[in-house]
Amino acid sequence: MTTVKPVVVAESLEARKASRLSVLGFFMALPPMLLVICFVGAPILIAFTFSLGWTTGPNRVVSIIGQEIHKKDQWWGTFGAYKDVFHDSRFPGDLRTTLLVTLISTTLVLTMALGIGIYQRMIGGRIASIMTILTLVPLFVPVVIASWAIHTFYAGDGFMRTLMSHFGIDFPTLTSTSTAIAIGTIWTSLPFAILMVTSGLQSVPDALIETAQDAGAGFFRIIRTVLIPLALTPIVIAGTFTAIGIMGSFTIPLFLGPNQPTMLGVEISNFFGSYNRPQQSIVMAFIVFAAASGIAFIYIWANVRSAKQSGRI
Amino acid sequence: MARKDKARVKTSNPLVKVLLVIFMICMAIFILGPLVWLGVHAFVTNWTYPNLTPDGWTLHWWTKVLDDSALEAAIRNSLIISPIVVLCSMVICLPAAYAAGRMNYAGRKTFLIGMFAANSFPKIGLFASIATLYYALNLMGTVFGIIIIQLLGTIIYMTWIPAAAFAAVPRNLEEAARDAGASKFRVFRTITLRMAMPGILVAIVMSFLASFDEAQGTYLVGAPAIFTMPTEMYSLVQNYPIQVAAVFSLLLAIPSVLLISLARKHIVGGQLAEGFQIK
Repeated sequence: MTTVKPVVVAESLEARKASRLSVLGFFMALPPMLLVICFVGAPILIAFTFSLGWTTGPNRVVSIIGQEIHKKDQWWGTFGAYKDVFHDSRFPGDLRTTLLVTLISTTLVLTMALGIGIYQRMIGGRIASIMTILTLVPLFVPVVIASWAIHTFYAGDGFMRTLMSHFGIDFPTLTSTSTAIAIGTIWTSLPFAILMVTSGLQSVPDALIETAQDAGAGFFRIIRTVLIPLALTPIVIAGTFTAIGIMGSFTIPLFLGPNQPTMLGVEISNFFGSYNRPQQSIVMAFIVFAAASGIAFIYIWANVRSAKQSGRI
Repeated sequence: MARKDKARVKTSNPLVKVLLVIFMICMAIFILGPLVWLGVHAFVTNWTYPNLTPDGWTLHWWTKVLDDSALEAAIRNSLIISPIVVLCSMVICLPAAYAAGRMNYAGRKTFLIGMFAANSFPKIGLFASIATLYYALNLMGTVFGIIIIQLLGTIIYMTWIPAAAFAAVPRNLEEAARDAGASKFRVFRTITLRMAMPGILVAIVMSFLASFDEAQGTYLVGAPAIFTMPTEMYSLVQNYPIQVAAVFSLLLAIPSVLLISLARKHIVGGQLAEGFQIK
């Protein structure tokens, strides 16, 4: 008994210390959580009830100001606003533009990030470092400026048309097309993707690559079977963040896109402000959110996967 | 130096080299072209299509921007609001980041994932939703309202990146210092905080830029009473000649360029990437 007792005491002390720490940790983590709950969680929940036609309480003011408000006719609400949006002739085009731009831009951004990252990891040298620094430039530039700069660059009297006209080529005016939205989103998303992907690829141990080389694996085989699988988590994170960011983007399609069809981000703002149809605007926000949640799920899966691999779960 | 030891493959194919150089030139035009094009416009009188050179050079637009009181107010608002936002963000988020990086508490994972989920709701939809709440709380058109809106955009940087930085501080260093007789506070100040500093610095820079560049929410809450530099850009673009927007863009880019140059080493060094992986 006497020999066991101190150990027990020490253990319970340790346990008590750990539990005290965890309570302290919880309270330290509380302020940002409260902020997010109050100003992100609560508004989203309230907005959801509003989209279902709950027009009392916190939704009273906006229901009075807004037009074409659907009031709930069942105990749970109504799908009136959702029906409005799905029957709106603009909506299919907007949704298609949003999804297409997201898909194309994310694919291109990831391809470029992978290309530059793998080049830097496997070959290196001056070209690789210049390229990496070059692709980080957009990080320095506020989105508003970037959008406007790209707008003027590809405009009817912009640089591309000016330059090409001297070679006798009639370069198309890209400003106010969905191509310009894609260019703008790629431009702004590139640095983050490059940072994530290169840092993932750099952390693949040299020994593994050298072993594969010694075993006779070629350049592409090393990329396919060593580099990409080992850096998959950061690659997936880069992809999901890029996709979610692009899907909800507003300033870029506003400055660069056509009036119709445009991305849902701009349409949400139009419906809320110019058209004064807040309920339909919120419905669109939830449609984008639903799509983004699907992508967010991939992100969480990738994080859990990496945590499992390193034995943290 | 460590990078020199990395496993490399050698290429000597001249065709590959030529293709690479062409690709790099295309990337340079793609990335730098729009910025240079807009930047040059800040100094030209007019530019007639399709001439390769402008009609003339002038500094007239700079005096026009600097003399305009609305633009001056926007610059002042931005320079006051953004530092306040970053300070609030540090006070609110850094303890949480320490907790997330070093302690295990109930709901830690939920906390990190919740922060992420909040990020995946489209910003413009969130602002439309917040507007409802703001009307009820009388926060529309107030500086306080703008600070909260901008604060929301900084949380993800100010919790995740420092959390990873705190988690990466080796425990045995702290224990060694404790054994040598240093007080808890001293260990925290001279070891934990110092080693996590690059991560915190990156978080501060990214938060400042997130706040400084935030336009959608600030416009929704602030306009027409309070304008910051990015929200002023919206009306500039519509109401002024391109040269004024160009001058304003250059002014708006100064803080970003200064700050990121300061923290470039750490941002490229992986502090940012490290922060975005939930552990």
